[in-house]
Amino acid sequence: MNRGLSRLALIAIVTVASAVPARAHHSFAVYEPTLQIKLSGVVTTFKWTNPHVYLEIDAPDPKTGDTRHWLLECASTSILNRAGWKFNMLKPGDKITVIVSPLRTGEPAALLKQMTLSDGSRYSNGAAAGKVTIE
Amino acid sequence: MKSTALIVTVVLIAPLFAQSQSTAGRLTGSWEAYPLRGEGFGSGVPPKVRVPAPPPIPEPPLRQPHLDEWRALQAKNAELVRKGLPPPSTGMACMPEGMPGMMQATFPMEILETAGQITIIEEAFNQVRRIYLGAPALAPEDAEPRFAGQSTARWEGAVLVVTTVGVKDSVHFRNTPHSMKMRITERMRLINAEMLENQVTVEDPEYLTKPWTWTWMYKRWPGYKIQEYVCEDNRYFEDPTLRYQRLRVQ
Repeated sequence: MNRGLSRLALIAIVTVASAVPARAHHSFAVYEPTLQIKLSGVVTTFKWTNPHVYLEIDAPDPKTGDTRHWLLECASTSILNRAGWKFNMLKPGDKITVIVSPLRTGEPAALLKQMTLSDGSRYSNGAAAGKVTIE
Repeated sequence: MKSTALIVTVVLIAPLFAQSQSTAGRLTGSWEAYPLRGEGFGSGVPPKVRVPAPPPIPEPPLRQPHLDEWRALQAKNAELVRKGLPPPSTGMACMPEGMPGMMQATFPMEILETAGQITIIEEAFNQVRRIYLGAPALAPEDAEPRFAGQSTARWEGAVLVVTTVGVKDSVHFRNTPHSMKMRITERMRLINAEMLENQVTVEDPEYLTKPWTWTWMYKRWPGYKIQEYVCEDNRYFEDPTLRYQRLRVQ
């Protein structure tokens, strides 16, 4: 697979938005409703807080290849606990791959859909974040 | 003489016996909303006996011009969300849901039955509700306004009837305004060993043309321990200047 196709494979546009269940705190409408991208990078910050857990990573932008500092919004601590996460599962320097929906503004922040750790284990961000639609 | 005493005793204890065979004493424990809300929101374990989902909550039967204003606000908010500019909300500001919204059990809730009191602890926003059994119901004008209002209850056979007044007028369940004359009546009963039904009726002579009614249901979640939810712990993603829900990207 050439580099162009490889990059293209990172960005997938889906046409069907999944049903949005109830959420406790706020809307996720600031994020692209149908665009999902894959990022692979290094964890710099993992904040185990409510109403949302926050994850920050340094990862190449799929469009430009330039490394950017991404802020990833996750669900609440309780949702993530029930989805199998743990408060101390990540530390700065860990390598992870995520599938996210970026902000509509183009700024380097996104709603997490799925996280894969270096050992291959996968974690969902809960039902409110919506389903993963790309590989 | 002995038979008379026996009859008197049976008459006196019969209501207690009826309660022990129904809902009283069986509410303590953790509960999750039913139908189940999806991954991360609850156990994901369906009930042993399939129970029909209650119908959706109807539109509030508001008096005019409040009904037109409510419909216009719903349309405006939906358009803002479509544009990716979700409007501010009390939830975004980490304000408690209050009554009746807290009883939708967005996250699981815990019910504790103790002498003279039923306490409901919602995981969402760490909300707590204290319901006083057998206490005289407060007149709405005598109830200090609170998010959860002030609740009293009595048993009607197998049904726990809870009356709530004194909900702050800033608490707008589903964007629905109300007066301080609002009264919420809940009729809670176990429909089997693991399913609790809550029939909610909202009355407000100033804002509603008729009672606003719906049913919520909860499924028992044995062994679940309610988690902490301090919403104010991380608010740096809000943008109060723009008045939109927005990430503040560094």
